[in-house]
Amino acid sequence: MTFRIAGLSLASILVLVIASTPRAQSAAPDPAFFQSQVFPVFEAAKCSGCHSASGVASGTHLYFPEKDATPAQIRAFGLSLSGLVDRADPSRSLLLTKPTNIVRHTGGVRIKPGSPEEQLVARWAASLASASDATLSAAMKALREDEGEAAPKQLVRRLTHAQYDNTVRDLLNDYSRPAQRFPREDYVDGFKNQLTAQDMPPLLVETYSTAAERLALNAFRVGDINGLIPCKPASAGDAKCRDAFVRKFGQRAFRRPLREDEVKRYAAVFSEQARAARRFNDGARVVVEAMLQSPNFLFHVEAGPDGKSTDFDIASRLSYLLWNTMPDDALFASAEKGDLRSADGRERAAKRMLENAPRARQALDEFFEEWLRFDRVINAVKARHRFPEFEPELAAAMAEETRSLLHHLVWNDRNFMEALTADYSFLTSELAALYDVPAPDGQFEMVKFPAGSKRAGLLGQGTFLASTAGPTDTSPTARGIFVRERLLCQHVPPPPPGVITTLPDPLVDQAPKGRRQLMNEHVENPACASCHRLMDPIGFGFEHFDAVGKWREKEMIPVPRPAGAGGGGGGRGGPPPVPVEIDAQGEIAGLPNSAFSGAQQLGAILAESPVCQECIVRQMFRYSYGRLETAADEGTIDDLYARFKGSGFRFKTLLIALAQSPEFLRQWNTSRRSTDAQ
Amino acid sequence: MLSRRTFLKGISMTGAAVQVGLPPLAAMFNSTGTAYAADVAGKVAGIDKRFLIWWNGNGIPERYWIPRETGENFELTACLSPLGRVRDYVHVLSGVDNVAARLNGQGNGHFSALCGLMTGTAYTGRGAAGASIDQILAAKIGTKTRFRSLQIGVAQESHGENVHRNMTWAGYERALPQEHIPQNLFDRLFGVKDEGWVNRKKSVLDLVSADVNRLQPMFGAADKQRLDQHLTSVRDLERAIASLPPDYGKNIKEPEDITDLTDYPKIAKIQSDLLIHAFASGQTRVASYMLTKCQSLTRFPWLGHSDNRHHDYTHTNAGTPEQQRIMRDICRWHVEEYAYLLEGMKAIPEGEGNLLDNTATVFVHEHAEADPHKCNGLAMLLAGGGIRGNTHTKTHNGIGDVYLTIAEELLKTSLGKDFPTAEEKMPELV
Repeated sequence: MTFRIAGLSLASILVLVIASTPRAQSAAPDPAFFQSQVFPVFEAAKCSGCHSASGVASGTHLYFPEKDATPAQIRAFGLSLSGLVDRADPSRSLLLTKPTNIVRHTGGVRIKPGSPEEQLVARWAASLASASDATLSAAMKALREDEGEAAPKQLVRRLTHAQYDNTVRDLLNDYSRPAQRFPREDYVDGFKNQLTAQDMPPLLVETYSTAAERLALNAFRVGDINGLIPCKPASAGDAKCRDAFVRKFGQRAFRRPLREDEVKRYAAVFSEQARAARRFNDGARVVVEAMLQSPNFLFHVEAGPDGKSTDFDIASRLSYLLWNTMPDDALFASAEKGDLRSADGRERAAKRMLENAPRARQALDEFFEEWLRFDRVINAVKARHRFPEFEPELAAAMAEETRSLLHHLVWNDRNFMEALTADYSFLTSELAALYDVPAPDGQFEMVKFPAGSKRAGLLGQGTFLASTAGPTDTSPTARGIFVRERLLCQHVPPPPPGVITTLPDPLVDQAPKGRRQLMNEHVENPACASCHRLMDPIGFGFEHFDAVGKWREKEMIPVPRPAGAGGGGGGRGGPPPVPVEIDAQGEIAGLPNSAFSGAQQLGAILAESPVCQECIVRQMFRYSYGRLETAADEGTIDDLYARFKGSGFRFKTLLIALAQSPEFLRQWNTSRRSTDAQ
Repeated sequence: MLSRRTFLKGISMTGAAVQVGLPPLAAMFNSTGTAYAADVAGKVAGIDKRFLIWWNGNGIPERYWIPRETGENFELTACLSPLGRVRDYVHVLSGVDNVAARLNGQGNGHFSALCGLMTGTAYTGRGAAGASIDQILAAKIGTKTRFRSLQIGVAQESHGENVHRNMTWAGYERALPQEHIPQNLFDRLFGVKDEGWVNRKKSVLDLVSADVNRLQPMFGAADKQRLDQHLTSVRDLERAIASLPPDYGKNIKEPEDITDLTDYPKIAKIQSDLLIHAFASGQTRVASYMLTKCQSLTRFPWLGHSDNRHHDYTHTNAGTPEQQRIMRDICRWHVEEYAYLLEGMKAIPEGEGNLLDNTATVFVHEHAEADPHKCNGLAMLLAGGGIRGNTHTKTHNGIGDVYLTIAEELLKTSLGKDFPTAEEKMPELV
């Protein structure tokens, strides 16, 4: 049974409240009481661990306030709980019966029945039950206003390392990919491009400086072979040609025309260097070196001097969204002509850009790689004696297989949800051998799975199956987390501090136990169960796929050599491993009708699930805008989802919709008013 | 007296063949041993004390690590055996608590432990919730040197490219990346630069600063903060350039590129050599050194243990004698590399003593016994800078107290409550 309460989204509560008949005034609930007495009870019970927009219980649409919520938001939240209150009999309110597990609660008992904490919640439920609709709708209004306040505070992003490499390639014709030697970007909130993590530590700034120096040197090492200088300088001090260069290169580097004061400053340093070296190109070189370190190059701030979004701003956003690099000449020209001001103009530009296959593919490559964590399969290590076939080349082929499938769906205009159901894949002969399907003639060619194959889509691929397993054993928990976080956009809370996460020895009670039996501890121990129930049963459904993604009929439990003979597990030269039957029945707690076994069944369930479909939109939103969505973005997400779904899940439609969403046009200094006022 | 050029050549040779002993540097110092450091720092100011924190991933096998006896006459355990030549400098401290690791943060045991040990705060899910001890100290004692602090890394394997592969934090959720590539570190510290370079670089950074300032008023508060960080980092770089010695690095050959980026014993020694010379030449007073990552997934082919990864070893039948011996070997290697650094510092004369006399070092693992993610009763090594050596102490104090003692008793700077879990000094350490 699922905890899903229809009408709990804010908009529908409002409808509900307004539609119900007016009631007599009665003792109004005191929001201050909720904030000081009741809310701490929920906090202590850790409800928000699951009940948040990105929590595992996001399907319930009960979203607790963010950690840094204002008192007003907490009070309004308290009033919004009226949707969980039974007005006829407050003691039967879900607000009480769920956290006490009187009505079955996936999260188990969070508040003890009969405790003082329960009394506080009961008092609140009773006062909500007696509240007038006027009171509640006023509270809802306040809450909606707060939603506006929940706009992101930080908006200015810097170039990702991939964008840096692509941009200097297009700007300077330099293919050296200098960012590969930069300090690495870290995954935060699921991606490597999230602006909260785009700090400017000294080491990075020094690295930018070193890279700029090298790039500028290379650009003019053998004269101006890349045609960066638009004129023939008459002398080292040719001011006219100098200014023409500063303007032309500056516009491409800053992705907007330079202001006059900027031209002057850069020209001055140009002249100083050109004079000292008696060479025009040395002046040009220092300008390139400086511009590549300027915040105007490193950050996405293509706005004009007054901070208003300009045509160039739009060009740049389109370019980094759809190509992951700077605009080309045609896009700059469209910006100059004002073609990008209209939604139609932007759509035309976006469509043209999506036809440039290499660039458009390069942009999606980075999204796919981060969304599905290719780093984890590429860096995976497997026990050599168990899986000798798992070489780095095979791991790389797994990532390429996933990439090929997704590109196939995007660029051939297929239903993107087929990513979870495809009865074919793009394989090398090594992957075909691992999957036990016919080998293709060439590299990464499409192979249709034979009848009876148990694979389908992403969940039957090595990228998922191998990256979510240890060196020898599978990890149903890790597989469950992957499905929750990557495909359902639900964040799984971490284990409590100090918990021992080691599983018992597989041979502890003589009879060898399979992975699933060992993990029953997670379900039997209530401290573990409330979370593991959300993860492990998903992973159990994949137990027929071993730690590298090979099919296995039975689980082979290694038997250690007898004591004294040396060696623990492993089985090299020891007794033969013991086969154990596999029970591959799984389910996704909280998702209706989600009992499944294996990749095919789960893939089909997810492909049909609105939570999963919408999650793809959310992931693309997070990646595209470099941040988690806030309550204020839910409308945008809904619209994007509607268009994605309406197109039959064509990914190109989603990309074009992103380029047309209000968020895309948001001015980066809109955060100024609200944050400066604080 | 040797020229700096000779000195730097010595380093590049070391880079190529690190097992060869470092050149004696005594000749580079004046009679009071202060000349070289003073030269770089730009003034004669006596010998400054330095601080180093050294990190090793995962936990230890306590039975092979913690000495049985306390006081001076303890026997070096299997894991600590590489410390023989420097034991007079080493204080083994066991029983240390990491109270912040029990705060209810977002991470698993490993990241909570890291954030607690380094910052005294909880892991937020995006990083630590405050500045790490090295950065707190760098703000106090690192403002006059060429680099405020250095972040050095060796082994890189972590659980994917997660934010917790960082060790030090500039502030709330602000990770500081490490330099893992010896050649890059060499370039930063001892790269070849001429006067033209310095002048051009200064002009360039002036332009960059002007651009940052020009953008400032257009930004909202949170974005403005990011620009401020950019500007601060630009200023740090300007200082690094401005404090180059006048005859800096002419015709110096760089160390060879490391071809095998997983040859960690080799990389660790080159990084240590560079760090020693960074300290000796007064380029910084504060450094962090991450040998293996938090929840390290490194493999150890040079120890004969490459079937599994570090973290897997700690949780696979961890109680069995065979697995305990594997962890013993791994942890002994950690200590071996640390001992290499201590011996290198000890070999560099400074004033009446040597570099190690003037450098307080702290060596930690994220956990005590590895398998249960134990966060109380941590075992660590303290060495140099005036720490009471040749001693094993069992304590119940927390990590903050260790830092408080080092900061106030050895580095002679106040720490107070700047480190959240610092409460009382531990006189037994000095």
